[in-house]
Parts: sequence; C-alpha cells; structure tokens
Amino acid sequence: MLEYLTFGLITQLFVNGILFGTMYGIAAIGLSLIFGTMRIIFLAQGAMIVFFAYISYWLFTLLGVDPYLSLIFVVPLSLLLGSGFYSSLFKEAAALEDKNISLLIAIGLMFLVENLMTVVWTANPRSILTTYSSFVFRPIGIIIPFTRLIALLMAVLSASGVLLFLKKTLIGMAVRAASEDMESATLMGINPHWVNVVAFSIGIGLAGIAGVGLATIYSFDPMYGFIFAIKALIALAFGGMGNVFGALLGGIILGLLESWASFFIGAGWADAISYAVFLIMLMLKPEGLFVRSVQTA
Amino acid sequence: MRERRSIIISALVTIAFAGVPFFLNVDTSYFAYYLFLSFCHIVIAQGWNFVAGYTGQISLCQNAFFGLGAYTTALIWLHDVTKTGYYFDPVVMVLSGLVPVILAVIIGIPLLSRLRGDYFALGTLGVQFIIQVLFLKGGAFTRGADGLHLPSTVFESMKPYYWTGLFLALFATAVVYFLIKSRAGLALRAIREDEISAAAHGIHVLKYKIFAFAVGAFLAGICGSLYAWYLFHINPDSVLNLNWLFYPILICVLGGNGTITGPIIGAFFITALFSLGTVYMAQTHPILSGALIIFVMKFMPTGLVGLKDRILSRG
Repeated sequence: MLEYLTFGLITQLFVNGILFGTMYGIAAIGLSLIFGTMRIIFLAQGAMIVFFAYISYWLFTLLGVDPYLSLIFVVPLSLLLGSGFYSSLFKEAAALEDKNISLLIAIGLMFLVENLMTVVWTANPRSILTTYSSFVFRPIGIIIPFTRLIALLMAVLSASGVLLFLKKTLIGMAVRAASEDMESATLMGINPHWVNVVAFSIGIGLAGIAGVGLATIYSFDPMYGFIFAIKALIALAFGGMGNVFGALLGGIILGLLESWASFFIGAGWADAISYAVFLIMLMLKPEGLFVRSVQTA
Repeated sequence: MRERRSIIISALVTIAFAGVPFFLNVDTSYFAYYLFLSFCHIVIAQGWNFVAGYTGQISLCQNAFFGLGAYTTALIWLHDVTKTGYYFDPVVMVLSGLVPVILAVIIGIPLLSRLRGDYFALGTLGVQFIIQVLFLKGGAFTRGADGLHLPSTVFESMKPYYWTGLFLALFATAVVYFLIKSRAGLALRAIREDEISAAAHGIHVLKYKIFAFAVGAFLAGICGSLYAWYLFHINPDSVLNLNWLFYPILICVLGGNGTITGPIIGAFFITALFSLGTVYMAQTHPILSGALIIFVMKFMPTGLVGLKDRILSRG
C-alpha cells in the first residue's frame, strides 16, 4: 500500500479530514453550549440536524428554494424550536440535581423526532442534487468539492459568530458566567432561565446550520442522527467542554482521524479507532486538548 | 412484619406466574411471549438498576454485556467447549455470565478509577461501540454481520423458556435485594450519596464500584444466554442492538430507579407498551413511545413507584 502514498494523496486525506470534521465541529459547538449551562447531554442533537436537513430538502424539492438560501428560513425556525424545547421540555429538568431525567427526555425527543421523520419522509436515504453539487475545485491536484468548501465556510463563520456573541454581548457574557458556575451567576443577578433559553436556542440554531450543510453534502436518512450526535460528543471531549473553537478543532481532529484510519486500516475499523482514541483521551486528558486557564476562557 | 408480608406477596405472584403455562398454550399465545420478554427485560434492567440506581454509576454498555453473553453461549455450543448438553445447560449459562464479568473488570479498572459521572457514561458508550465493531469485524470467529447459526432442531416448546425466564427474573431480583441488604449494599449506597465521604469512612470506592459493575454485567450476560437459546441466530444486529442499552434504562427510570420493585413494574409496563404498539400501530408506535418517555419524565420524574408514594402521602 505504501507505494501509492504520494504527497498528493496525503494532502488529499488531510483535506478530506478537515472538510469532514467541520460538520462534527458545528454539532459539537451546539452540544457544548447546552452542556455548559445546563449539564445536559443533548443526545437528540443529531436527530435535530437530520430534521433540518429534511426541512431544507423539502424547501428544495417542493418550492425550488436553493439549499443555501433556505438558511434564511431554517435558522430562525431552529432558534424558535430551541427556545420552545427549552421552555416546554427542559425548564424544570435543567434545575434538578438528577441529570438522568434530562438525558432521558433528550432520548425520548430523539425517538420522537427520528420516528416522526420515518413516517413523514420514509426511511429511504435522500439527498439534494443541485446544479453545483458535482462542481469541484482542483488546486494543485487536490479535489475539493464546492459544497464541502461552503460547509467549511459556514462552520467557521458560525463558530466565529457564536464566539463574538459570547465575548462581546451582555447576554453572551452571562452565558459564559453561567457555564462556569451557575450558582454564583444566579447570585450576581443573572436569570438562569434566560441564559438557558439563549444557550439552547443557539445550540439548536447551530443544528439548523449543520443540517443545511449535511443536506448539500451527504445523502441522509432518519436514523443517521444518532451516530452523528455520538461523533459530536467525541469532538466535544477532544475540544474540552465549553470551549467554542476547541469544539470545532475537536471535530476537525476527529475528521482527520477517521479519514486516515479508514484509508490505512479499513473503513469498518475507522469508528472503533476513533472511539478508542476517545477513551484514551478521556483517561489521560479529560479536560480536553485546548483548555486555557480559567481567567482567559 | 412489612418484610414478611412482601415476601408472601412475591411468593404468591411467582407461583401465579409459574402456573400460567398450565392454563395457557405457551407456544401459540402472544401473551405468554409478552411475559417471557418481560422476564428478560426484568433481568437486564435489575442489572442496570444495581449499577446506576443503587451505586449511581450511569453505565451505557449494558448491551455489550448482553451481546457478549449471547455470543459466549453460541461460541461454546458451536465449538463444543464444555462437552455438556448445550441447550438449557446451566454450566453454559454461568459461563456466559462470567465472560462479561471479566470484560467488566478489565474495562472497569481504568474507567471507574479515572472517570466520574457523565464522563464515565460517555466512556462506557465508547466501549460499547468498540465491542460492536469487534464482533462485526471478527472474521471467521464471529462470522461478521451474518453471525452464528445454532442448531435450531432442538427446539420443542416455549415452556422451558418461560420458566427459565421467570426463574432468572426472580434470581436477579433476589440477588439485587440481598446484596442491597448486605454490608456491600450499604457501601454502594454510601458511594452513590457522596463518594468522598464514603472513602473517608474507609470504603474502598474503586473495589465496590467494580463489584457493582461486574454484578450488572453478570445479570446481562445470563439474560443474553437465555435470549441466544431463543433466537438461534446470533448477529450483532440482534444482540448488540442499542435497544438492549436503552430499554433497561427506560424500564428502570420509568419504574423507579434505585428501588427493588421499580424495574419489575417498569418492565411489564414498557414491554406491554411496545408489544401493543407493534401489534396495533406498527408504524407510529415509536413516536408514541418517545412522547410517553418525555411525558413521564416531565410529570413524574421519580417513576411509577414514586407516583404511588406520592399519591399515598397525599391521601
């Protein structure tokens, strides 16, 4: 196998990994915000991403709306759904000491959304085919599909947007304070429900962006979401909880790991390798790879 | 007094269940199949209840232990290892329980010593995925996605399944009950309440956690063994399925986690719900199950057992 290993191939694997990993990254940022403020492992994130992919698919096939244009509709919808989920489902559970309850509500939501999608859109895989779906760039012999490049751009832009929001606005600062210490933040006059609503809406909003990105790149089916959520959790553990760019980088590392492992060891083993690295990570550096000191975070 | 009464009640219930095959044709009745499935769910759920409900360690690899038990039974049978009758053989069943225990100790030492809370849950979830891939890629040993076929000609009647299931459910409940009553159970509950304080009182935290984890693995393993005899065709899709991870959790939490009767009530309830759903609303029932989980968690987070207590204390 080694004789095929040229510089071009190595770069191609590298680029593939990065393009792959950004999708995990955006999902992981959403999970990180939700986990940071409420300590909820929101397993339904993957199902939500697939749900928004279907919304984008519907807009495309029924109304002929371009998938990237559908962001204008999908993002507000996802923000609204996020705040709706929080105030109808997680409001009481987030305040409880026992975190199993919110985890189970998330699992119930995942069952509900996945099977609703199976009934509405059937279990057949769907994908969006536009005029530019097969368009590729070829700088120095490396193949970069146009849709993946746009997905990368969307990921970086949304991560920067979330980061700016957290750093520069008052509500963003409240969210950061709450994820460091909810009790002290409440004592400082921060309303925990407000912070949670904001964090949840942004989390689901990022799922909306990831959903549109997913719809343009892969073919998807209703049950695809769970694996996606698990991958996002792994990315989150790589990056460290509550670290926005860490989560994005964690996703990219996971993408690189998968692309290398599936090339050198075999596609079926790639998942086992990433879980094994994830376990080793948890043992040796549970705080994540990209933690900074508490003062500057 | 209370204890004696509950022992009498459980003995009567057991005798009533044991008598069912004399009044009902177990081979054709869907109700008997439902009871058998409920017994299996009780066994695996009591295992999870012991780890998560009483010790407070949320383990997410119960399906790996279950699948490992089923695969152990199938492999012992096919490779003719123990030279005994393999069909409903207690030796095979105990061995199928012990293999998951070995895995539980091997992964328990690093995971339980270093990880706590959510991180432990995520770690065990990772282990579960690795086991799935290993069995899928096991080559000639596990025959990959197709899995292992057992000689199904030995099948005669559902009756032994029914009684063995009932016995295992009783056994699992008794194991959890007596362990919780014992000194070890006291230590486990102390760990659940406050780990640091438990360690300060001289409890070897890691040892007891691994013990609880291993007991959970053993119960899942023997349940997997019984299920292997029932299926006759073991593949990753049927025994390492994520349902074997989620159902015990649902059962325990719906019934009442950390109580002895909770998993039993939960198992009958959930199995009835899913069986009825499959019969009457084949396509839409998982939607209703999802909605029900949300509903129960939102309005009675202590489970069905807790609901009873709440009604009693109000009245």
